[in-house]
Amino acid sequence: MSGEPRPRTTAASAWPARALAAALGLALLAAWEALARQSGLSALVLPAPSAVVASLWAGLRSGYFTPHVAATLSALGLGLAGGGAAGLLMGALLAESPWAERVLRPYVVLSQVTPKLALAPLFVLWLGFGIAPTALITGLICFFPLMENTLTGLQQTDPQRLRLFRMLGATRWQTLLRLKLPMALPTVLAGLRMAVVLALVGAVVGEFIGASRGLGAVIIAAQGSMDTALLFAALVLIAVIGLLLYQATLLAERRLLRPYADPS
Amino acid sequence: MPIDDTSSAALSDGAPAAGPGQPAFLDIDGAVFAYPGRAPVVEGVRWRVGAGEVHCLVGRSGCGKTTLLQLAAGLLRPQSGSVRMQGREVRAPGPQLGFMFQAPTLLDWQRVIDNVLLPVSLQRRPTAADHERAQALLAQLGLADHGQRHPRQLSGGQQSRVALARALILEPALLLLDEPFAALDAITRAELQDDLLRTCRQRRATVLFVTHDITEAVYLGDRIAVMAAGRVTGDIAVDLPTPRTQSMRHEPPFNRLCAHVQASMLGASPAPA
Repeated sequence: MSGEPRPRTTAASAWPARALAAALGLALLAAWEALARQSGLSALVLPAPSAVVASLWAGLRSGYFTPHVAATLSALGLGLAGGGAAGLLMGALLAESPWAERVLRPYVVLSQVTPKLALAPLFVLWLGFGIAPTALITGLICFFPLMENTLTGLQQTDPQRLRLFRMLGATRWQTLLRLKLPMALPTVLAGLRMAVVLALVGAVVGEFIGASRGLGAVIIAAQGSMDTALLFAALVLIAVIGLLLYQATLLAERRLLRPYADPS
Repeated sequence: MPIDDTSSAALSDGAPAAGPGQPAFLDIDGAVFAYPGRAPVVEGVRWRVGAGEVHCLVGRSGCGKTTLLQLAAGLLRPQSGSVRMQGREVRAPGPQLGFMFQAPTLLDWQRVIDNVLLPVSLQRRPTAADHERAQALLAQLGLADHGQRHPRQLSGGQQSRVALARALILEPALLLLDEPFAALDAITRAELQDDLLRTCRQRRATVLFVTHDITEAVYLGDRIAVMAAGRVTGDIAVDLPTPRTQSMRHEPPFNRLCAHVQASMLGASPAPA
């Protein structure tokens, strides 16, 4: 189809850059490995990449990481779903009702400038140790980008299309669901992409403070037992989860927004 | 309603199109409209459109022609005077009206066929008959194979055709068009003008067409209202044979009419022809 030629050319021109990026990564790893082996630095301070890989592999094979990855993912999923949905609804409410915006806006902003992570000890006090405080922090962190982007997106609806809907006798609800929200979708999805990245940070840091399970808890435990290789292995897992989530969001965005893009 | 003295000039100049005996299809009588705190945009316009006729409103930017169109749509209500359609006051837009705006204003995320069916689907679930009607309209406008595409995959002219099909899907008796072809190139515009005339004649739709393009007004209109500063300052009957053909554009009668419209637009008061 008409959209085909462009991706092919960009993919072709992206090849040398990708190869170079991979080579750079390998070179950095090799330098790290050499440094760790030659310098006589303790593995406590800087374990060699080979030691990290060994620790990662052992943890994965023995199933040690499984409950932790599951805990982090569920806190992240719960927080993202809850916070994202709440952000979407609040954004829609503020966009649809100028009165609600005037009343609620100061509090929403206030809640956002308060560092959520600083609230973690309080949440542990209220909700106990475990997944609940982590999910709550993650949710609070995801709330803002979605609310802000939904609000912005809904307020940017094209006036000519609004007039069309008015002339066609659309109800307010129809205008919101069939015009404003679909028009705001690109902006909302950009907010979601931001929220996904922030959610992972929120979940891991939340686990530092309030959880006995999860990759954040693994990092704290590894620090306590001075198993730096394990700490790095957990970091690798977190980075992989982040990358996968980000790519998944990008892919979903591209699929959903295909009709919005000009074919070239 | 009584017409104030400011409109009496327009009254005598803008002679009613329909004969005095038969009621006009669309009857704008002494309509005045002003946005709060500003001078009136439409100042006592009297204009009548007979059933099945195509009338064009021409005038410079800001002369009030789009506002007059919105009054005819019932999107705005006149502060004095009245807008009647088939004898009844126009209070709000409804299925009796079809619209086209300066831009196609299609919904990019919906397929072409769903865009055409939008006026239906906002009222009820489209039936198989509705789908057939939409498909027939698309076929008539040369878009039979494009129903499952998305608007962004179409050219500008094709998007305008989809907007025309959408305006016609409820078989409206009155079609209100606000410079719908302004953004198109000359050749595509000419094709769309022919499409518009053909489909409207088939459906016996009455058309009020706002444009600033004089040749477009002469080509499409049975009658042309020239507007300036919120009033109708010229009323020109177009006596070209129907159906129009593109070759007429280069013939003397066409050019004479264009010159006449232009002179009427330039003069503050209509110069006698």
